[in-house]
Amino acid sequence: MKAAALAVTAVVIAVLPFELSGYHQGLAASVAVYVIAILGLNIVTGYTGQISIGHGAFMAIGGYTTAIMSHDHHTSLLATLPLSLAITFVCGVLVGIPALRLSGVYLALATFALAVSVPQFALKFSKFTGGSNGIQTSKTVSHLWLYGVSWSCAAIALAAAWLILRGRTGRAFRAVRDSELAASASGVSLAIYKTLAFGISAAFAGVAGSLFVLATNGFAQPNEFGVFLSLTLLIGAAVAGLGSLWGVLAGAAFVALLPTVSQSVPLVGSAHGQDVAFGLAVILVMLLLPTGAAGLFVRIRTLRPNNADTTES
Amino acid sequence: MGMNRRVLAVVAATVFVAGATVTAASGAQKTDPGVTATSITIGGTFPLTGVASLYSTIPLAEQAYFAYVNAHGGVNGRQITFDVLDDQYDPSKTVPLTQQLVEQDKVFADYGSLGTAPILSTWGYLNQQKVPQVLVATGDSYWGFSHKAYPWTIGFQPDYPGESKIYGKYIQASMPNAKIGVLYQNDAYGKNYLAGLEVGLGAGKNKIVSKQAYDVTAPNVTQQMLSLKASGANVFFDFATPTASIQALVTATKIGWSPTATFVNNVSAPATFMHLAAANGANIDNTISSTYLEDASVPSEANLAGVKLGKAILAQYAPKLDPTNQLNFYGLASAWTMVYALQNAGKTPTRAGLMAALRSLNPAKAKNPFLYPGIQLQTSATDAFPIEQQILVKWGGGATGTWTAFGKLYNGAR
Repeated sequence: MKAAALAVTAVVIAVLPFELSGYHQGLAASVAVYVIAILGLNIVTGYTGQISIGHGAFMAIGGYTTAIMSHDHHTSLLATLPLSLAITFVCGVLVGIPALRLSGVYLALATFALAVSVPQFALKFSKFTGGSNGIQTSKTVSHLWLYGVSWSCAAIALAAAWLILRGRTGRAFRAVRDSELAASASGVSLAIYKTLAFGISAAFAGVAGSLFVLATNGFAQPNEFGVFLSLTLLIGAAVAGLGSLWGVLAGAAFVALLPTVSQSVPLVGSAHGQDVAFGLAVILVMLLLPTGAAGLFVRIRTLRPNNADTTES
Repeated sequence: MGMNRRVLAVVAATVFVAGATVTAASGAQKTDPGVTATSITIGGTFPLTGVASLYSTIPLAEQAYFAYVNAHGGVNGRQITFDVLDDQYDPSKTVPLTQQLVEQDKVFADYGSLGTAPILSTWGYLNQQKVPQVLVATGDSYWGFSHKAYPWTIGFQPDYPGESKIYGKYIQASMPNAKIGVLYQNDAYGKNYLAGLEVGLGAGKNKIVSKQAYDVTAPNVTQQMLSLKASGANVFFDFATPTASIQALVTATKIGWSPTATFVNNVSAPATFMHLAAANGANIDNTISSTYLEDASVPSEANLAGVKLGKAILAQYAPKLDPTNQLNFYGLASAWTMVYALQNAGKTPTRAGLMAALRSLNPAKAKNPFLYPGIQLQTSATDAFPIEQQILVKWGGGATGTWTAFGKLYNGAR
């Protein structure tokens, strides 16, 4: 059942670009970018229980890696992706270390500080990053390239997340989330697994950041990585349902497409309207679907046998 | 007539070469995107919300001017539709919105879009697509200098180095004993201003006794202001962005530094910012800046035809907008230029025609009523800077005061 759904999704995504205009390919690619970033956030926040309001910062690091490598060293754009992955993994682990001593709202604030401060670094070291005038990759990519690479990366990210979370590591992450005391009593090293979760999660966000910059015509600039980007990821994760992989597609589509879809809607399409729509959506999700889109899938699945039962009796 | 001949030539050539008559004929009849028999659709990206939403009034003033033109017959019978999209000054939003304008909404041109970074992010794309990116609202000099590599982009307002060059010329002409202290932002923006000042000073370059840079991330500029005071400078140049500029003016007063003349760059000079500085204790009377627009808040300009027209248009088509806000007159002046260029872009406007019109602005014909009297719109094959003249203005009236023009027109052209 799950395999069939997976196969159908994969086929749709593979065929879709041939049915879409270039512009819509670009939009669809941005969904993939958010899939990767929200997956990352979900690993640390949803599965390991460490809240992060700072994942936009890792996207910034990834994005600037791609822009600087391509601009200064003419590195091939594809080759910058694993580089972003490696650099942001290290950054994630480093952020994870102080996070060991913080939890709950304190951790949220610390990661929030990260989201606020990282774009400032780009302004401070303007020789290196182009400052407020930004920095651009030496090449730009087509909509189709972006679509193909983004969804390939998203597929790899989904598979990687699934592999990581189904086994020993995933069990350790969930143990940390459910009770740190119980987890450490059962021999799960909090230090290792918390920093590992931050590292993996940041690496996902880093790759997403690289693709995000490529979707912006290869242009990296501090305004792109404001606090709102981090909040957008968190909203996406909430809509997706924390601690689930499949809802991520819905969460990513929601945050990537709402601004475009809502443009022509009266009130919502006006200035500030999108912010209100985002806020309302989060409140509605929290009230009606506390487990997000993923929870909705589960509910539908559990409804069906009940229906069958009633028709029988 | 010329058009018909071109069509014939295209058809004939195609028949001769490929024999594909049908495609050629239909291709030749096609207009450029965004143009129909009754309408022209243009679009732009602006920070309607977010950090730079102060500028959101500009596209509204532009829409008001287009509404006025539409009510008076449009451009050769075509009504102008102006799509305004909100990019929040964030290039990652500017890019998809611009792609939407070009590929989805199929606009004729990207007009008036605002902000250096947002424009840089779509610069290559629009030129690749051969879509006009015209009258962009940023004072950087890239657009004018790079017209050969980026022929589909053109700016509007005087560029930063051109502006500070004017200050340099003024100092050379009227302040022989000036000892100049400069505060500038430590990036392309601030350095461009500083470079222009040095060019304008020419032989008087050594009048600059102290240059103090501050990082855009710095919480204040106190250290720099103390250094400037200690340098013995008697003329202060404030090449900062608005927040730091206000801080600098306030700090100068607080540390007891009263230079004989203070210059504030155009970006930081809107009356709102000056009022803020004064409200925080800065002594701002006699501060000098520059402008190229008429100002509805200045009593002596109240009877200018452009001020009257602008006020009437805003009152009728955008009554919520404040005519004394210079940004609204900026919008009117920019929209006037766009309409003028559309009128001269061919009977059925083409994208190439629009660029040609903007690259051949003739001051004898393109008399923009919203520019300060005497300031001209002029471009040529080698000059892609539409406005290069400015007039100096002096602040009077403290916290409730305003700018008043003085002296002659200066030219910042290279």
